[in-house]
Amino acid sequence: MTLSFVPGDSLAHRLDPRSKLLVQVAFAAVAYAYTTPRGLALLTLVAVGCLLAADGGPRDLWGYRVAFPVLLFAPLVAGATLGAPWFRVERAAATGLASYRVLLLLVVAAAYVRSTPVRESRAAVQRTVPGRPGVFLGVGVALVFRFLPLLKRDLAATRAAVRARLGAERPRRERMRLVAVGGLSRAFSRADGLGTALVARCFAWNPTLPRLAFRRVDAPALALAASMFAAAVLRLA
Amino acid sequence: MATNTESVDLVGDEAATNLARAALFAALVGAFAYVTFPNPVSPVDVTLQVLGVFLAGIFLGPVWGGASLVLYLAAGALGAPVFEGGSAGVGALVGQTAGYLWSYPIAAAVVGAVVHRGAALRDLRSVGLPSLVGAMVLGTVVIYGFGVAGLAIVLSLGPVEAIAVGAVAFLPAEALKIAAAVGVVRSDAIAAA
Repeated sequence: MTLSFVPGDSLAHRLDPRSKLLVQVAFAAVAYAYTTPRGLALLTLVAVGCLLAADGGPRDLWGYRVAFPVLLFAPLVAGATLGAPWFRVERAAATGLASYRVLLLLVVAAAYVRSTPVRESRAAVQRTVPGRPGVFLGVGVALVFRFLPLLKRDLAATRAAVRARLGAERPRRERMRLVAVGGLSRAFSRADGLGTALVARCFAWNPTLPRLAFRRVDAPALALAASMFAAAVLRLA
Repeated sequence: MATNTESVDLVGDEAATNLARAALFAALVGAFAYVTFPNPVSPVDVTLQVLGVFLAGIFLGPVWGGASLVLYLAAGALGAPVFEGGSAGVGALVGQTAGYLWSYPIAAAVVGAVVHRGAALRDLRSVGLPSLVGAMVLGTVVIYGFGVAGLAIVLSLGPVEAIAVGAVAFLPAEALKIAAAVGVVRSDAIAAA
């Protein structure tokens, strides 16, 4: 199961996407500024609070399982030394804290992903980044969301076809090439069809976006972001 | 809905096609994250994302290839499950994979610039094997340079430790991907470039 938007009516679902993005950036800043046991203990409460505010739970973190081996492995590598004393606990502890910090960042990100629909994310980008770069990012992000499942299916179909023809016995390089050629040709044909369709339907640099507005529920989130930014700046100053 | 009352500013044909290709390539790199192959030297499987980065630079050129990977990062940050193992969110862009991910647009631009000798696209049939392989080796250096540096900073590891965690097990697989990419470019199945 992958992490994705889940419709709901939680506090996080009702927030403006821009305040949620701001909270994430502020959280990252403060987590990097205070990588101490006490700082991270406090930030754990904030991170868990964010996830609960989005009606999330430990199941949402399962989407990040591929990150866990590195996070567990890194402190061991950091502590190990060639020669006496073979293992330095303080080095391992420093990296252990850093690993835990990354885990907290993932928890906060999961809360955003769970509580924000694509069109709101797109509108947030397009209203935050001005001009044509903003439109490019907004439209592009929306298209990536739309086409990812299709291309995933294309690639799965290619692999199934390769396997059905005993392709699994070919060398690895050849299998990679076959999957890439299949995916690439499908992506290009989809892109050319999409490009024509966009032009035919008056694709414009100034489209109509859903309305976004900061409301009263955003005030606590913005205050949280501001205080975390302030704490990070204080630490660095 | 907010309504725009000023006149409509249409996107040109070429820009629309390029935007569509950039977006589709970004989605393809995301879809490649789900395709795993056994790693020749390690129990950790490898995905084809880096192959997607190479191909974006080769087929879209330095400008749109780089732009495509920027879209990939933006979509992933906003929740599209396009990062390693189908993960998503801003966390990946500031966590232990930060260096690798931020290097992708740069690597695609570097590969594109070397293959096409500048910003304008040239016919891929006129590109020699040495510049193709050289471009991708350079791209690999960029990706792993940034990736290992990011790992060292984010997890406070020393340089040797970071290379042990983040590069040693994966570099042999990159050679396979470079070979596969050469095969893709040389195959007749791709006519759209």
